[in-house]
Amino acid sequence: MEYLIHLAILFAIYGILGVSLNLVVGYSGLLSVAHAAFYGIGAYASAILLTQSGIGFFSSVLFGAITAMITSFLIGAVLSKFRGDYYTLGSFGFNVIIFSIFLNWQGLTRGPLGISGISKPELFGINFSSNLSFLILALLFLVIIYFASRFIVNSSFGRVLKAIREDEKAIQVFGYNTQYFKLAIFVISAAMASVAGSLYASYITFVDPSSFTLMESIFILAIIILGGLANLKGPILGALFLILLPEVLRFIGLPADIAAQMRQVIYGLILIMLMLYRPQGLLGEYKL
Amino acid sequence: MQIISQLIINSIIAGAIYSLVALGFNFIYGATKFFNLAHGVMAAIGGYIVFYFGITLGLDIYLSVAIGVLLAGLIGYGSDKLVYLPLRKRKASNMVLLVASLGVFTALQAIIAILFTSQFQVLYRNIASQRIFNIFGGSITQTQSVILISAIAVFAILVLLLKYTVFGKAVRAISDDEEVAKIVGINTDKIIGRVFFIGSATAGLAGILVGFDTGIEPTMGLPLLLKGVITAIVGGIGNIYGGVLGAFLLGFLENFGIWKISGEWKDAIAFALLILFLLFKPQGIIKR
Repeated sequence: MEYLIHLAILFAIYGILGVSLNLVVGYSGLLSVAHAAFYGIGAYASAILLTQSGIGFFSSVLFGAITAMITSFLIGAVLSKFRGDYYTLGSFGFNVIIFSIFLNWQGLTRGPLGISGISKPELFGINFSSNLSFLILALLFLVIIYFASRFIVNSSFGRVLKAIREDEKAIQVFGYNTQYFKLAIFVISAAMASVAGSLYASYITFVDPSSFTLMESIFILAIIILGGLANLKGPILGALFLILLPEVLRFIGLPADIAAQMRQVIYGLILIMLMLYRPQGLLGEYKL
Repeated sequence: MQIISQLIINSIIAGAIYSLVALGFNFIYGATKFFNLAHGVMAAIGGYIVFYFGITLGLDIYLSVAIGVLLAGLIGYGSDKLVYLPLRKRKASNMVLLVASLGVFTALQAIIAILFTSQFQVLYRNIASQRIFNIFGGSITQTQSVILISAIAVFAILVLLLKYTVFGKAVRAISDDEEVAKIVGINTDKIIGRVFFIGSATAGLAGILVGFDTGIEPTMGLPLLLKGVITAIVGGIGNIYGGVLGAFLLGFLENFGIWKISGEWKDAIAFALLILFLLFKPQGIIKR
């Protein structure tokens, strides 16, 4: 049971990451692979504040989100000048740069050693230290972010994003400043990813740079491409599937290190197969 | 003075390795117009095939290198036939091809790790027997001089191939306009298949040389690929002359950069260069 709760918490965290990345990749058509960077910013913000100051978990979530927004504003300002595969390459670059900062700014992040002993959230005397209560909290965040993104995509703002995805030139003719829209959705999505990072840091109680590599960004991308781009439920389905997959592999009885690699093989094959036979993913409404 | 000449030598060696990766990458990009992110893993494949034949089976080292280069080329060829060609036939967008190549990369890298474990391996049987030459107070190993010579040789062969052979003319025609090339009777699928073979074989060679110089591990492909991509873009994407220029520019910048700042920032320096170029000179040093 404890183990199922653990999986459910991971599902909630990756669900948040998927839902937020889908806003950028699915609805706006910007193939970003820098999501793990913002996820990491949230995780480090909470880790540092919770271990070194008296600030509580929820304030650290807010602080992480603000840091992620400022960073993503700067990064997005550069990225929104690019289109198509150059956008992807640029985001690649920023993920590596942010990762280098996690790894090398030792005074703040303790580098490869990581930060341990991060405390569990507490609110109005309720302590979320048991896994079940943490799960409820994580699911609550997932629900809030799910409905926030549903609100965004159904608003007029969301319709402009979809129009940019379909034909950026055409919507510019109507007088929309598309760079502003691309930047705004990038910042919103980064803030959401940082919330997932805060949850992760507080749940695992330990962060180190290896959780926020480019491979992690590719994994989040695989979640949303599998689940379906530009569909709200797609990332939820994708996260569920890709979180449960390794457990199936363990169930067949592969040794742990081979199972970990086998997982990567399957992620890779899933991406190839989807691109070949179903580029919009399982539930998707938009093809890359 | 000694430091300076050593730094210059290190920069030239780094430049030679990057230019080998970039040459193949640019060659493939020129013909297909998509960022083949699986290119780096061909380097790891080359390295591990030499490890298997040369170290595990104890075959002659030159023979193993030949097998390594050949098999890396064949696997690249196979990836085109199995994944990219069907996608091109379906007129898939560059993004779809990019994501598919991400899948090929993830799967192949994990397969290497399953077959050979994730451990770091060296290709040299007897490292002490390496000869070291002195140039102006800086030292260069035998392997490093082989790297330099190979880079020059591969560059020369590719230039001659492109300029003076029928195959080269066909490749140039395809990179100008694939549709028109098809209309005038060029078998574009066959030519692009060969381009993949040659490009991946050079990546394999780069991986093997890196293996002799420092060592191999399954994840070695990604950093090599990223440097190759940066190099290719900085030099002018799809232009093999520009790729070489970009490679040496990056080699010098990185090595002189870490003279003043710590070595861990190497990747960040490389990506900062990429982003600066994307912003201010997206067509690169030499425009196609």
